[in-house]
Amino acid sequence: MAAKEGMLVDQLAKVAQGDRAAFAGLYQQTSRAVYGQCMQLLRDNDEANDVLQETYIQVWHHAGEYHADRGSVLTWMMSICRYRGLDALRRRRTDVAFDTVAQNHACEKPGPMQNAGDMVDRQRLSDCLRDLDERYRNSIEMAYFRGFTHQELAVAMGQPLGTTKSWVRRGLNVLRQCLGS
Amino acid sequence: MKPDNPERNHALAAEYVLGTLHGAARKRFERWMMLSPKLRRQVWLWERRLQPFNESAPSMQPPADAWGALERRLFSAPETAPGPRAAAWWQSALPWRWTTGIAVAGLMALLIWTPVPPKAPENGLVGVVQGTQAQPLWVLNASRGDHSLTLRSLPPTLPASDGQDYELWLLPESGVPISLSVLPTEGAELRITLSHEQVKQLLQSRSLAISLEPHGGSPTGQPTGPVVYQTQLVDL
Repeated sequence: MAAKEGMLVDQLAKVAQGDRAAFAGLYQQTSRAVYGQCMQLLRDNDEANDVLQETYIQVWHHAGEYHADRGSVLTWMMSICRYRGLDALRRRRTDVAFDTVAQNHACEKPGPMQNAGDMVDRQRLSDCLRDLDERYRNSIEMAYFRGFTHQELAVAMGQPLGTTKSWVRRGLNVLRQCLGS
Repeated sequence: MKPDNPERNHALAAEYVLGTLHGAARKRFERWMMLSPKLRRQVWLWERRLQPFNESAPSMQPPADAWGALERRLFSAPETAPGPRAAAWWQSALPWRWTTGIAVAGLMALLIWTPVPPKAPENGLVGVVQGTQAQPLWVLNASRGDHSLTLRSLPPTLPASDGQDYELWLLPESGVPISLSVLPTEGAELRITLSHEQVKQLLQSRSLAISLEPHGGSPTGQPTGPVVYQTQLVDL
């Protein structure tokens, strides 16, 4: 794991110097994870493809801005991907499958976190989420995985806007205390 | 007004990372981040806290054309690819150059330079290389059965330029062209036996290109001259 991260840092450092072969290598190593995330958020092949490309364009231009405070190289790239993905979602602003999401949670279908393995960070987040009030947890997961705004959460959860806003806020607050820094 | 209250900073950073901070508020926050290292650190902290969410997303193979499209968007140089952005990646000389040095000598196809009876391969692929006036120059047949690629020149002699040769390339989806053969300057038909790997790649990408190279073919194992023709094979 550490060796792989070291390799990604090396590649990224070369990318920062304009090394295209290193860029190709970085793409090869990371694009499956990044594309998986694009698809999870956008659920549309064309948009996910576009966001994937935008992510790597940003990586190419800003590789030198990466540092360890951003987390691992992949964390940094995933963040870029998520922000570009959120932009794409906001541009789309059309039909979001609210019903599907509401039903998923109502029938206790396993959430995405249940695919998570046993890594420490994952486990910690998983534990903290489990202890969270179900309403808070659902709001946070739907916002993260589907990119829902407060308004969309309110529609999806059949609650007034103020209520979902405060669920998200309180949930994040509890998470922060649970996860610490 | 900047958010100077630590609790408020935490809350805004968390909602920024979560994505629920949106519209004008999100833009405002991004501006504050530019000004405040403390706020940026809060955001990074939340990115790390929520990273396990990202890891739970199943990995997926990106579309095969994503890398080529990305290269075009980043590296298509006007002096080598003056066409619109939609130009195919192999029409830009740049990707060819930067992949120079990757050895393909071992992948050189076995060249059998004998006249071959012109029979249509069964269950094969066919492509036509056209000149600038859309006149057919070469016809290519690929046979799945015996892994052969046959290239037939329609004008009996290839239009050779002084001191230069045409070189045939397989363009796999991975993006690194594979040299198949330098085209002979005389004779009407060329038959190449492809390796198993080459057949696999050709069946995936179905793309071939011909570049103009120094006499004897590319000295580097990768295209160095302009790509003069390209073709897509289709099922027979």
